[in-house]
Amino acid sequence: MMSRSAERQLVRAIRLSAIVLVIALWDVALRWGWIDPLFLASPLDTLIHIRAVVVEAKLDIAATVTAFLVAFVTGVIFALGIGFAISLSNYSRLVFLPVLVLGVTIPKVTLMPLFILWFGIARLPVIVFGALSAFFPMVVNVLIAGNEVKPAQVLLARAMGLSRVQIYRKVVFPAMLPVLSSGLFYACNAAMMGVFIVELALDRHGMGAYVHDLAMTFRTADMYAAVVLTAGMTVLINMALWYIARYFGRWRN
Amino acid sequence: MTGCRVPPVLARWAIILAVLGLWEAGTRLSSVSSLLIVPPSLILWNVARIAVEAGAVPDFYANALVTIGEIAVAYALAALIGALIGIAVAGSRIIGDAFEPILLVLYAIPKIIFYPVIVLMIGTGYPAKVIFGILVAIFVIIFNTTAGLRQVDANYVRLARSLGYGRTKIFFKVELPAAAQTILAGLRLGFGYTIIGVLTGELLVVNAGFGYLIDWASVNYHTAELYALIAITLVLGVLANSLVSRVERLWVK
Repeated sequence: MMSRSAERQLVRAIRLSAIVLVIALWDVALRWGWIDPLFLASPLDTLIHIRAVVVEAKLDIAATVTAFLVAFVTGVIFALGIGFAISLSNYSRLVFLPVLVLGVTIPKVTLMPLFILWFGIARLPVIVFGALSAFFPMVVNVLIAGNEVKPAQVLLARAMGLSRVQIYRKVVFPAMLPVLSSGLFYACNAAMMGVFIVELALDRHGMGAYVHDLAMTFRTADMYAAVVLTAGMTVLINMALWYIARYFGRWRN
Repeated sequence: MTGCRVPPVLARWAIILAVLGLWEAGTRLSSVSSLLIVPPSLILWNVARIAVEAGAVPDFYANALVTIGEIAVAYALAALIGALIGIAVAGSRIIGDAFEPILLVLYAIPKIIFYPVIVLMIGTGYPAKVIFGILVAIFVIIFNTTAGLRQVDANYVRLARSLGYGRTKIFFKVELPAAAQTILAGLRLGFGYTIIGVLTGELLVVNAGFGYLIDWASVNYHTAELYALIAITLVLGVLANSLVSRVERLWVK
């Protein structure tokens, strides 16, 4: 058997070599002419162009981040309000949960043309669709989080003379927190996806529109740089959320 | 809950019917343009017309078949590749530790960002939609397969080994059945994601399928047909999801 540290090094070596292999394949595919440079930019070119893209697409980045934040926050607030209202009674939860679960799984994207019809082609349809995408996974998680609350603990807290508000703050909410924070992750990704889809389709504001334009005009290196940049931004947003969730989790213990 | 005599299913349908009734009354009585919103009865009428009348929308059945074919191919590949990767990741701790962080980062990135890249690399035809469908669906299948296999009680495997089972036999007779519930849940979620991915792809790069029909109705302001087509895709999504859950329940029990 290997020692733990040797095993950890092996794991790291495998991971690193896999990443290097992918990047090397990406490079070789261009160098040896497997793929036309019109359709694929080399890793180095992509990296170099990121700086230029950040400068050129400043406004689009700002537009996308703003739209995402507004959509995410709006969707989550609505989900919390409606979710907690439904959770007040177990019966209403049974009535609404299946419908709301369907809201997550059905292809809402086909509603996009309707949103454009109703809300125009400016920022509003982007935000509404992003918010709707965030709403459903979050509201389902709010309803499921209710299951995490142990009735015995609530009873105990009541017996100890805690008020309704205190019970909510000290018992109910902490018990729901893990499921709520995993709901935030789903909502965050759904909102990003929603915002980007409508931006791509409308082709007016934001990174979606910017990437679309780059693809249409065959500015290949810029486009790959923009895609890598956007992907990096989404990873950063996810990490930020993860740290926030962990911070609250630690506070809970 | 002793006070509520009405079963939740009935209450759910009553609410849905009430919403449809309000929608019908609201659109009939108010002066909102029929370009923006049409009553449910008209949507239903148009669904019937599209299904029966050949010229209601261009080549309805041919386009529906395109979409269904793309979904079927994308799902088959996503399920197969996803399950294999999941088995590989769960099968060896070193491979799991090495690749899981990479997979998690990829999972966190909204896949829609890569759609312009896919289209640039392999064109606008159906392979782009299939690959995008796979990309959207595969991660939940991978992670559920891994999680399911890791949950399997190590004592089962030890017992099977002591009974002289070989590796393959242990995998198919012990580990896979024990992990089936979680794996099947992943396959169900993946199916929903495949549908979402394929329809998104069709709506963003329009040339055939439901995406084409919806785009046709929307750019020509055939609002009633647009609502009907959206209703058809949403209902198909609901039906497909409930079909898969039924298969899942059949298998698990």
